Amino acid sequence: MDIWIFAEHKDGNLKKVVLELLSVGRTWAEKSRSKLCAVILGHQLEPLTKILAEYADKVYSFDDPDLVHYNSDTYVTLIANLVKEHRPDILLCGATLLGKDLFARLATRLGTGLATDCTGITVGEDGRMIAKRPIYGGKVFVDIAYDDSRPQMASIRPNIFTMMTPAEPKQGEVIKIKPDINPNMVRTKILDVVKTTQSQVDLTEAEYIVSAGRGIKSPENFKMIEELAEVIGATVGASRAVVDNKWRSYDDQVGKSGKTVSPKLYIACGISGAIHHIMGMDTSKVIVAINKDPDAIIFNYADYGVVDDLFKVVPLMIDELSKIKSV
Amino acid sequence: MKIIVLVKQVPDPEAVITVSAKGGPTGNSDGQGLEIENKYVLNFFDQLSVEEAIRIKEKLGLSIVTVISLGPRRAVESLRTCLAMGADRVILVNDPALENSDAYTIAKLLAQFIKKELPDIILCGKESMDDNACQVGPAVAEFLGLPHVSTIIKLEIGNNKTALVERQIEGGKEIVTCSLPAVFTTQKGINEPRIPLVTGVMKAMRAKIEEINLATLGLNAADVEPKTRILKYYQPPKRPKVKIIEGELPDKIKTLIKLLREEAKVI
Repeated sequence: MDIWIFAEHKDGNLKKVVLELLSVGRTWAEKSRSKLCAVILGHQLEPLTKILAEYADKVYSFDDPDLVHYNSDTYVTLIANLVKEHRPDILLCGATLLGKDLFARLATRLGTGLATDCTGITVGEDGRMIAKRPIYGGKVFVDIAYDDSRPQMASIRPNIFTMMTPAEPKQGEVIKIKPDINPNMVRTKILDVVKTTQSQVDLTEAEYIVSAGRGIKSPENFKMIEELAEVIGATVGASRAVVDNKWRSYDDQVGKSGKTVSPKLYIACGISGAIHHIMGMDTSKVIVAINKDPDAIIFNYADYGVVDDLFKVVPLMIDELSKIKSV
Repeated sequence: MKIIVLVKQVPDPEAVITVSAKGGPTGNSDGQGLEIENKYVLNFFDQLSVEEAIRIKEKLGLSIVTVISLGPRRAVESLRTCLAMGADRVILVNDPALENSDAYTIAKLLAQFIKKELPDIILCGKESMDDNACQVGPAVAEFLGLPHVSTIIKLEIGNNKTALVERQIEGGKEIVTCSLPAVFTTQKGINEPRIPLVTGVMKAMRAKIEEINLATLGLNAADVEPKTRILKYYQPPKRPKVKIIEGELPDKIKTLIKLLREEAKVI
């Protein structure tokens, strides 16, 4: 049984979710005595294939200047042809915008089943995969089973599996493939990429998030939230009310019509806990709620709660955490 | 311009949905099903697509906006909303064999319809609020052999069969050119959907809704076997009751941080 991972990367680094998948993939492969393989596309990939080879038995590398930017026409064709040649049983990627876009088209090209944004995966001894994922925005979870077509495909939410540096790094075989790209097959072309946020880490991939709602009262007060985020190494999030008021950009919105996040720690400041917000952060490992209203719905979904004025609490948190950091 | 929009009727985001015991063909092998409060709406991201289609029609003129939806008969309500907004033609695909469809089969049959229509532009939401799969748009493009661009926040139709698109990516946006015909999936921020005028609503209420099934599309049940199926439903895991930190400031903050470090082990 072969398990393949699509290795997405950005700005010279593998996406953290890829390392999470390689970590758990290696555990599965060892348990079932199967092969773990990584597939990577891009240009000047040697530093990345080196890391991939520490986890995987085989690394398939398509290295070409024309592959620098993701393009569904080329990526789908190259990966599909490789998959048809080697016939893996399982093919996984991180549930990023790129991963979801690529896999939706790739699964159709391959005529095989796909589960999106999974929060759990189990692989049976018979190589049959079961994917667990949220539906209805997270109100219900389902177990998905696949028919006999292969590979069984799934995109996995970041921060579900734990990234581990291999205790005994493998020395996987790196297979460089010269991609056969017909320029006529490329029908979409990227003209420019514009950064619209200062955050280093996107909310959907963040391990730590500090979020504020209407209780923040004004856009200027977000400075305090940003300070707290910086001390923890968190990304700043916002509720829909804040974004609708144009105090923060839509990039920062956590919630059903914004981003779904799954950090280790989510700190909600002055957020009431409307269901559309909860649906966007309910799979956070630990939730801390700060709200001066003891009846705020958010306390029904939090692990720890502080019923107090966030304008008093947040500066104290910044103080206390800075002290710990400097030790 | 011939524009086709793919839409879906979904439970209202506020609707209560619970896992229940349910036998029969719509239940799974565990005898489970879902109880969904009877409040349905046009999928928000599809609403953006309908609005975008109508704006293109208003800008370019000489265009037809056709909206198609796969769903049970109650989905007609969402199609009427599309008519009220300004769509020209709406079609419901309704067939009992489609009960357990997954994204693959839905895309396959929608593509079958679109093939005969030869549109210039195909629009749909980037995601539906029920299955959250983000799959149908790119899958339809693949079945049709057309290019696609997903999560678009701006669409400009140029001359010589090209479109200039802005699409949302993590932490920013891409500016992309795309040849037409193509499939685009719409993301929040592309537009503000209009609230239909009363005249539109009245026209929509009177309109006859075209209804088709697998046979109309030249397909049979064997052509639309899903690739995945739902084995089991779960309620989301419930967190234990919140621990409200007692005491006075600043001590209770020290307590909170201690708990996060030592108990929750997240810092």
